[in-house]
Amino acid sequence: MKRCQLLKNIKAQMNDALVVCNIGIPSQELYSLGDQDNYFYMLGGMGLCCSAGLGLAHNTAKPVLAIEGDGAVLMNMGALATIGNCAPGNFTLMIVDNGSYGSTGDQPTFTSRRTRLAEVARGAGCANVVECRGEDIAEPLDAALQSAESTVILVKVESGNEKVGAIPLNPVIIRERFRARVQA
Amino acid sequence: MASTNDSKILTALKAAGTDYFLSVPCKLLGGLIESLEQDHSVQYYPVTREEEGLGMCLGASLAGRLPCILMQDSGLGNCVNAFASTLQYYQTPMVLVISLRGTPGEKVGAQVPMGMMTKDLLALLRIPVLHCHHGEDLNELETFAHHARVAEGPVAVLIDFNLAESGK
Repeated sequence: MKRCQLLKNIKAQMNDALVVCNIGIPSQELYSLGDQDNYFYMLGGMGLCCSAGLGLAHNTAKPVLAIEGDGAVLMNMGALATIGNCAPGNFTLMIVDNGSYGSTGDQPTFTSRRTRLAEVARGAGCANVVECRGEDIAEPLDAALQSAESTVILVKVESGNEKVGAIPLNPVIIRERFRARVQA
Repeated sequence: MASTNDSKILTALKAAGTDYFLSVPCKLLGGLIESLEQDHSVQYYPVTREEEGLGMCLGASLAGRLPCILMQDSGLGNCVNAFASTLQYYQTPMVLVISLRGTPGEKVGAQVPMGMMTKDLLALLRIPVLHCHHGEDLNELETFAHHARVAEGPVAVLIDFNLAESGK
C-alpha cells in the first residue's frame, strides 16, 4: 500500500478531526481525494506540519491530526521532544513512513536504512507510540482520535506517489475556511 | 530574576492580546521566561528550535490566538524560510520578541555577526520592527504588538542588550 491509498482509506475516519497535512505530494494527494474545510494543507515549511498541529491542539478542544512524513520528521526531530513533553490529549501525530522523500523524487530517507522513528519518538518522551502497517491503520487511528491521551502513530507504507497537481487554492483561503471550522 | 522592564514587556504583550507564548532561551530574556513560567493566565511552552516554534505559532493562529515567540537574534537566522514560505504566506499575525546581542558591551564575540545582520534580515523579510533601547521605548509595545493583527503578519520587538540589563 502506498500513501495515497492510505489517505483514501482513512478519509472518512478523519471527518471529525482538524487535519494538518504535510507539505508537497501528501497534501496534493489528500486534496485530490476530495477537498474538505477541516483540512489545512501545508504549502511551505517542510517539517512544520507536526508543530502547526501541536500549536493548534493547544488552543482547541477538538481532535487534531497532524499527517507527517518520515522526511519531514527527520527535518524537525526536536519537535518530537516538544510533543513528548507538551502535547495535549487531543493531539495525534501520524507519521506516514515510506522511507523516501516523495515530493523531491523518492530519494531514500534514513528510515529506509537504520533510523527507527518510533524509537526516536519514545526516546523523545512520547508516551503512546503505536506502529502499524498501512493495511492495519483503521483501529489505531480510531483509538488515537478518541483517546484522551496524545498518540504518535508510525504507519509503514511503500514508497511512491500518485500523479497529482498543485493545490489550486490561495493560502489565505485555506487559512480562513480552516479557522472558521476550528471555531465552529 | 524578572526586572521591572520584564514585567512591563509582559504586561504590554498581554494587553495587546498576546495569549500563547513560546521561547527558545536567551540569557537576556531569562527574566521574561521566568515570568512566563510563573504566569498561569497565559499558555507558555519552551521549544527546541525557533522554526519549530514558528510552526506552533501558525497552529495557534489558526485557532484565533495571537502567538508570541521569544528568541535570540541568532535564532532568527534559523527561521528565514519558515517566515517567508509559511508564516507570511498564510499571513499569520504573531509577535517576535528578539534579544539583540553582539552590540558594544557584549562579552561573546560569536554573537556579533548575527547581531549585525538582525535588522537587515528583518527588513529583507518586510517584518516591522520596534527597537527598544530604553525603558520608555516599551510604552509603544502594546500598540506595536497589536499591529500584528492589523498587518496580518509577524512583527518584531528587538530588546537591546542595555535594556535587558537595566531595571534589575
